Amino acid sequence: MGSAMKVEFLGIPRERAGVAELELDVDTLGQLLAALEGRFPSLGMLVDSGRLHSSILASLNGDTFVSDPRTRLSKSDCVLILSADAGG
Amino acid sequence: MPAVDMPAAPFGYHGAYLRIDVSNGRVDRVPIAEEVLRQYLGGVGLGTWLLLKEGAATTAPLAPAAPIAFVFSPLVGSPLTTSAKFAVVSKSPLTNRINDSLASSGFAIAGKRCGCDAIVLVGRAAELSTLIVDDGRVRLESAENLRGLACGAAESALKARLEPGYAVASIGPAGERAVRYATISHDGRHAGRGGSGAVLGSKNVKALAVRGTQRSDWAQPRELAAFSKALSARSFGPATAKYRELGTASNLLTFNRLGVLPTRNFQSGTFEAAPTISPEEIRQTHSKTRASCVACTIGCEHIYSIGKEEEKEDEKGVRLEYENLFALGPLCGVGDADAVLRSSRLCDDVGIDTISAGGTIAFAMECVERGWLDEPWLSFGSGDAVLKAIDLIARREGIGDLLADGSRRAAQVIGHDSIAFAPQVKGLEIPGYEPRGLQTMALGFAVGGRGADHNRSGAYEVDFSERVDRKHATSDAVQYAIQTEDKSALMDSLIICKFLRGVFEDFYGEAADMLRLVTGWDASAEELRETARRIVGAKREFNLLAGWTPEEDTLPDRFLETALDGDEDAVLSRERLNALVGEYRRQRGWSTID
Repeated sequence: MGSAMKVEFLGIPRERAGVAELELDVDTLGQLLAALEGRFPSLGMLVDSGRLHSSILASLNGDTFVSDPRTRLSKSDCVLILSADAGG
Repeated sequence: MPAVDMPAAPFGYHGAYLRIDVSNGRVDRVPIAEEVLRQYLGGVGLGTWLLLKEGAATTAPLAPAAPIAFVFSPLVGSPLTTSAKFAVVSKSPLTNRINDSLASSGFAIAGKRCGCDAIVLVGRAAELSTLIVDDGRVRLESAENLRGLACGAAESALKARLEPGYAVASIGPAGERAVRYATISHDGRHAGRGGSGAVLGSKNVKALAVRGTQRSDWAQPRELAAFSKALSARSFGPATAKYRELGTASNLLTFNRLGVLPTRNFQSGTFEAAPTISPEEIRQTHSKTRASCVACTIGCEHIYSIGKEEEKEDEKGVRLEYENLFALGPLCGVGDADAVLRSSRLCDDVGIDTISAGGTIAFAMECVERGWLDEPWLSFGSGDAVLKAIDLIARREGIGDLLADGSRRAAQVIGHDSIAFAPQVKGLEIPGYEPRGLQTMALGFAVGGRGADHNRSGAYEVDFSERVDRKHATSDAVQYAIQTEDKSALMDSLIICKFLRGVFEDFYGEAADMLRLVTGWDASAEELRETARRIVGAKREFNLLAGWTPEEDTLPDRFLETALDGDEDAVLSRERLNALVGEYRRQRGWSTID
């Protein structure tokens, strides 16, 4: 049984996806990224074969950063997909 | 002043620096041994070595004897992308510690073509002057007609008057009046932090104009061209997309979402009006153009009109970066995009560091709120107040005279223990990274040789990773903080832009490749790791000579005694920070009391 959780895009991922947020029904980070690849071809090289490019990060609820596709997600999670580097 | 001859030098170098005493016009071409060049490279590294050699550490930063060094690098003038950069190194009048600030573009190339690896100024000219270095020939001209001109206006006036080919770096009125965080500007960019503009102003030098014909030779020009072409191609990829497409200002919404966007003098980590001043929003209504430094393929500069597209105030526009956006927006509680853009432009014009300006003004606003400063107009949220404060600071008039000395000195005058929330480390105002929510960065700020700084320690990268818990840093974070500091030291000495860092898969290995192709040295990754550590150590040595004490490596009490508003999990105790600093010194091999 899957679970719907909120996905928020920030920075370049938001530019490419063209939306600020959506909901997905998945169990793991790998499933989430695969779903994004299918839904947003515009993400292009940012998501490839279930992995994020090194310039992009995934954060659970803004607190921890994750990359392992096996990372379990729960319905209460909010996954942020954001640009990695800061600076300025 | 006579022309100077070129010495034999390693590929990529001229093997000498010009030492110019503006008091009497004396010019010396001082050779630099190849061993020194290999050990300190250029930029920040070579600049620190030069300052140590000149005895700057024990000289008052605004005294005539204090040196200020404009330092190039072996890569300047090469086809390597982002390599047109120079460092300005001096003792900071804000911190009384080492200060190195970088700027980009044609000044670096033109300055190096004067036939030197650095230009070091000492002394004090009899009147406000322009220093002109024409292919190694040096002269001073009166700059009284430039007095009071904005940075860009002074640069334009000089270029219009001089013969073609000159590149100009100038101070604004703030540098003339020794505002302690005055900048040196070139082509709209600034050697921004720590007050190098005040140091130049203290020498009665309004501007430097440089041009030359003396190009460096490269050890392996064909291979260098091929390497450069491949690096440029990689620089168009996803690793730099953020800088190219949105610019650093896109940090704003991300930091706000993560609760680490410093707001109202670090009283909060979120700002309710962040969306309205974000680049994603501003570009919907304002016209925008893009620009890049000379010899750069990234093009990170995003220039916005002041005023909406149909009613913009002029065609000039304003460069918007995260740091000026954060400092003149949320930090002062200002949620009006045009107000932030106007404040940014005014800082550019008068020549002051936007981070220190915003930090000092926000600090003053909190003092007003607490009734400790009788300046009722200076309130959080007022864009007009920020503009007025910047103007007063640049003129050193009224409250501006106090604020021109930075938040630490202002707190010492205001009293009431306001130093507890003066947003600075070693006197340098804290950039836009909330330390309680980014605790590896907090360590980087605390131990930073030039004070709170995100360019000499990239420790925020560690916080934005799986390697640490950003709100509960442990000693595990220390090694990573050291790694980012070392990497920054090398990038700032080679010099290449940090926005390129994500392009490298093996930074030290590729840096060694670049250096080998340019100089012919058989440099290795391990040698460059050692070089980076040596440069960090040299800055440490400077600060020790300048009077550094262990107690300086900390944060203001606000960050160590209270949780971040709205995030009770974001707590950084004094004990934890002290433990991190202690572990940092242990891993560096530095005793607590040197």
